[in-house]
Amino acid sequence: MINCSNPIDPAVLGDYWIALLAPPEEEAVEEHLLGCDQCGARLREVIALADGVGQLAREGCLRMIVSDTYLKRAAEKGLRVREYAPPPGGSVQCTVTAEDDFLIGRLAANLSGAKQVDLSICNASGIEEFRLPDIPVHPSGQSVILHESCTLAKAAPTSTMIARLIAHDETGSERLLGEYTFNHTRTMPGPGVWPQF
Amino acid sequence: MYADLKDADLVPLIGFGTDREAEAELFRRMAPRVRLYGLRHLRDEQAAQDLMQQVLITAIEALRAGRLREPEKLASFVLGTCRMTVLDQRRGAQRKERLLQHFGAEFPEITHQPSPRLDHDHLARCVQTLNERERTVIVMTFYDEQTGADVATFLGLSEANVRVIRHRAIHQLRGCMGVES
Repeated sequence: MINCSNPIDPAVLGDYWIALLAPPEEEAVEEHLLGCDQCGARLREVIALADGVGQLAREGCLRMIVSDTYLKRAAEKGLRVREYAPPPGGSVQCTVTAEDDFLIGRLAANLSGAKQVDLSICNASGIEEFRLPDIPVHPSGQSVILHESCTLAKAAPTSTMIARLIAHDETGSERLLGEYTFNHTRTMPGPGVWPQF
Repeated sequence: MYADLKDADLVPLIGFGTDREAEAELFRRMAPRVRLYGLRHLRDEQAAQDLMQQVLITAIEALRAGRLREPEKLASFVLGTCRMTVLDQRRGAQRKERLLQHFGAEFPEITHQPSPRLDHDHLARCVQTLNERERTVIVMTFYDEQTGADVATFLGLSEANVRVIRHRAIHQLRGCMGVES
């Protein structure tokens, strides 16, 4: 394979693959690819990455923040979405079944003016176990949609999880936007507690 | 001998109309490239395969007839043929059948370069190491195929910002997967 003297950035190849390039840029990329096997190989790597991310998302095994559009399209694709929406300061009884593809927690909060919002995940005693810092939220949004890992939830024993939305102001101090309690009941066979290592 | 030649060097050899080995070499080189074009535009393996065959037969037919005057413009010429063929595909299959009957048996069988296989669990760990914005952007883009504008609207950012986040995430994932050069 001849070494490419002007390789295309893999991120640009990613944009090409998902049709996000402007026509002149797309034409330049395509002409290059029709003469360059090295960049073609790199494009195949990017395609494999994109397909892999797509598969992870389809399996519902990622913990992340998503949009309403994302959930709507998932439902249109035939995926089964289980959603819980406890009110701020409130709790909800929840579970997950083998048939569920996506597990969603909708956390209502007034996000206006928040420069940065963290999502803190706590145990039943309210002790923080981990934090998702600077989650993506719309500045004028009214809720955060947490996509919980279905894989993790299906393996989880009966337990309580407390989610807290925390805003940071310009001075660096934190402000609680809302606290939401999920009382998860295991309905699938499995261990009663997380294994200790 | 032919493997050492540049793509453009094969054009005049084919133009003489008798060098089947040069044609076969060009076919071997161009086939995976045209297939990628097909995958990108048709999003279907079989359709990409059909496109590849048809484009290369059309291109070699034109090269035999000496219709490409500037060999260094071969990539541009093949790109034009790709575009025309995609348009033709939407019009009908008659020309394809005629070309395949006339030329199809002359060219070598192409073994496709296999797509790279990624370690699924490793990729899952890599995706979880992205920061929250990067993870959301990359999943909305690659799984949901949302446009930059859609993602930007959701996040309350500019499209340029989303592009920066997306590019950073792609580089980080490649690095984490050990494919970033």
